[in-house]
Amino acid sequence: MAETFPINVWINEERYQKLQEAGLAQMAQEMLAGLKVLRVPTTAEQRDEILKKYPMAKYDSATTKSIELLPRKVKDQIFDLIVQKKTINVMGEFLKS
Amino acid sequence: MSEIGHGGKQIVERILDPKSAKEKIQSLKKIPVREQMAVEVIDLAYGFFSPLQGFMGKADVDSVCKKMRLKDGTVWSIPIVFDLSDKEIAEYGIKEGDKVLLTYKDSPAAIFEVEEIYSYNKQEMAKDVYGTNDEKHPGVKLTYQTKDKFLGGKITMVSKPVINPPFTPFLITPLEMRKKIKEKGWVRSVAHQTRNVPHTGHEWLMKGSWLSAYGELPVEKMIVGVVVNAIIGEKRPGDYIDEAIVLTHDVLRKAGYFREDVHLTSISLWDMRYAGPREAVFHAALRANLGISHHMFGRDHAGVGTYYDPYDAHRIFDKFSEKDLNIKPVRVLEWWYCPVCAEVTYMGLCNHKDKIQNFSGTLIRSIIQDGVKPPRLIFRPEVFDLIEECAQKYGMGSAYVTKEYLANRNPVFTFPKL
Repeated sequence: MAETFPINVWINEERYQKLQEAGLAQMAQEMLAGLKVLRVPTTAEQRDEILKKYPMAKYDSATTKSIELLPRKVKDQIFDLIVQKKTINVMGEFLKS
Repeated sequence: MSEIGHGGKQIVERILDPKSAKEKIQSLKKIPVREQMAVEVIDLAYGFFSPLQGFMGKADVDSVCKKMRLKDGTVWSIPIVFDLSDKEIAEYGIKEGDKVLLTYKDSPAAIFEVEEIYSYNKQEMAKDVYGTNDEKHPGVKLTYQTKDKFLGGKITMVSKPVINPPFTPFLITPLEMRKKIKEKGWVRSVAHQTRNVPHTGHEWLMKGSWLSAYGELPVEKMIVGVVVNAIIGEKRPGDYIDEAIVLTHDVLRKAGYFREDVHLTSISLWDMRYAGPREAVFHAALRANLGISHHMFGRDHAGVGTYYDPYDAHRIFDKFSEKDLNIKPVRVLEWWYCPVCAEVTYMGLCNHKDKIQNFSGTLIRSIIQDGVKPPRLIFRPEVFDLIEECAQKYGMGSAYVTKEYLANRNPVFTFPKL
């Protein structure tokens, strides 16, 4: 299976409420002693496309091997798509839009 | 009492007597310098770069590049050079043997005794020092940006720079640091090199290396200290602002995560070269000059991108004997969060490798950006609160470097007018 690189959508209060209303609260993973997160997988190509599209973002190759520092608005859009599609596998569609 | 620094040489401050400074600089040609040069003047004059007494001549540059030693055999890994264009040399009429006055923002900075003017192959220098000629490497870029010629010779600072708030108590010179270490009764101390706001991974790096440096010493009274030495220099958009870095490290002690008698915060002025292992050796020399006995080196010390293997900066110290360096390297692995151990724990101890959760400053910043407060287990609330305070007080609303911050920030130091 090809390696994937997650975008961490951290679940704040507003996002948790939306997940609960959509019946998707169990989708969130627990990490780092109590935080809730949706880890959205991206392929290497998708990762590179995101980093090109959002130059303020960073691929943390040294430690977490995840895409970080995407703007909050972008994370909100990805989150809304997850809730709409009821899956975390949304990057293909997100990038097309 | 003589204070011996790196290379077994005495630390000597090269600063003019204030009574005679004005007279000594009166007739000298003025050469304005950029901030990087002004910083290195301060470092040279206070002995941060001992045994260097000035900017390097060609023989030293060659030896440093090829052998990682000065021509006299002292270990040294990064060339410290002063550059001017051919046009500037002609316009100022500078020749070997001249004494000139370096100025910074129209204030006198240092007398420069020009002993040598020479050229050097920059591609070779970059490859030797950084292991690459890729211009995306910031150190390579800096090398390629240097002007036509290098000038070598001794530096004498005209007067002590004013260190502006909030940095004032944190620039501790080599001679002052040695006094401080003695006052604290520290038999050993361990340097923590940083350019970042601390999360608990950093905190545990410091605590782990403190325990390591403490070793067999008696514990009825704490006689070992952590010296946080934050590098303050050129900033890139997106870095944390310097004020946040220094003050958040200091707040770890004020908030009790370190006892008063085992921790102190300080800064050194330097534009990072990101030379990985070579910069680790440079940092060792710098902190030896500060009188610190041990230096912690973690994963990918002073690295950037993927130019260096994560533990190249550990291995390089195998090349040197104890008498080469006046400081002991403390080589450390990573700290991570393990949900099975239910704590932040050490890579060299925890065996739940498939369960561990790494965290980094970048990840924590993403968490905050998403409107979530990180738990205190990975990010102390006092640090979190202080970052926001610093953003408002020093960062024009942002804790991260912006163009506005770069244009309008209060300078770290100022040279006084005479």
